[in-house]
Amino acid sequence: MHLRPEVLFFVAGFPITNTVVATIITDVIIIMIVVILSKVIAIAPGNIQNVIETVVDYFNKTAEEIAGERAVFIYPWITSFFIFILISNLVAQFPGFETIKFRPTFNDGNEVSFFRAATSDLNVTLALSVISIIVTNYLGIRYKGIKAYARRFLSFKIFPVFLFVGILEFTNEFTKIISFSFRLFGNILAGEKVLMTMYKLLPIGFPLPFMMLELMVAIVQAVVFSMLTMVFMHIMTDKSH
Amino acid sequence: MEFMHKFGLQPSLFLFQIINFLIMMFILKKFLFSPLKKIFNERKYKIEQSLQDIENAKIILENANKKKYDILQEAKDNSEILTATAKASIKAMKEQSIFDAKNCYEQIIDDAKQKAEAEFENMNKQLGKISVDISEKIISKVLSNLFTDDEKQILTSRALEKMHEKITN
Repeated sequence: MHLRPEVLFFVAGFPITNTVVATIITDVIIIMIVVILSKVIAIAPGNIQNVIETVVDYFNKTAEEIAGERAVFIYPWITSFFIFILISNLVAQFPGFETIKFRPTFNDGNEVSFFRAATSDLNVTLALSVISIIVTNYLGIRYKGIKAYARRFLSFKIFPVFLFVGILEFTNEFTKIISFSFRLFGNILAGEKVLMTMYKLLPIGFPLPFMMLELMVAIVQAVVFSMLTMVFMHIMTDKSH
Repeated sequence: MEFMHKFGLQPSLFLFQIINFLIMMFILKKFLFSPLKKIFNERKYKIEQSLQDIENAKIILENANKKKYDILQEAKDNSEILTATAKASIKAMKEQSIFDAKNCYEQIIDDAKQKAEAEFENMNKQLGKISVDISEKIISKVLSNLFTDDEKQILTSRALEKMHEKITN
């Protein structure tokens, strides 16, 4: 298992990697959830609606508690991050992930895994982090105005203290991207590696506790990513900061 | 570049993931969060409406209780007045009955007395008549031996006259 995703084949020159396959599975599951919910949605919720309502309502209320009226714009983003990352992480626990092998025609006959957790691909985690930071900064401009937003990074008050602080803040935005993407990437990749090692050691029963641990990691990482995004969005949009 | 290669970073894959997430975000927002938000609001509205209905029902119940209390109080007052009136009229009727009974009883006694007196008088008269007859027979029997028929006639008639006078007096 490599750090980079393995390319399975190409479609019109676009590389279809095993993480792209996992991403598509994640998308299909999300769309299925949406379709099923749109059919069963009612004032008195059923089982599926209850679960989804709990998640959406939790993030909605948490965003409202933290960001007040700005929660209207914040909660769809953080809930989407949570749902996407959670499903991506959970999908990786499906049987066949990392175990079903594929032999690409162009890869000198070397076998590669057909499925691999989407979030164990830095392209995915980096994309999510970049979206998170760009949206956070966009919301900052929208709520505070361009001048107040720019003052965060470029200020000549108590020269050169705030200028230095501005440089730190600017660097911090990039650090956030790195920390966001590598945290998620590292946790899921490490989890997969641990599971693969356990499978190789003793395939029956032995990996079970680690699978449980991975389930927890999957949930925790999704929560961490969305909560941090929410906090950053709140800080960026709050006029007192 | 080496870093990008090591981690498999590819601009096409990176862009694909960004677009993919944005599409998913759009789908979720449009078809999941919006309907759910609508449901939340509808539910909230219904709950508020129900709470309002409960409040209204409470007020109606309180009013009804107050009205009930008023009606009961009024009924109680009326019943007390009726009881007092009934008691007064019963007392009046009782007194009237006693008075009537007393009158009636006195009347009966007076009538009885009068009847008794009349009877007594009548008896006295009959007794006098009987005694006159007896005396007449005794006298006529006694005198028949001493006097003549004419003398007897005169004496008898005189005696009878005297007795008559005594009785009538």
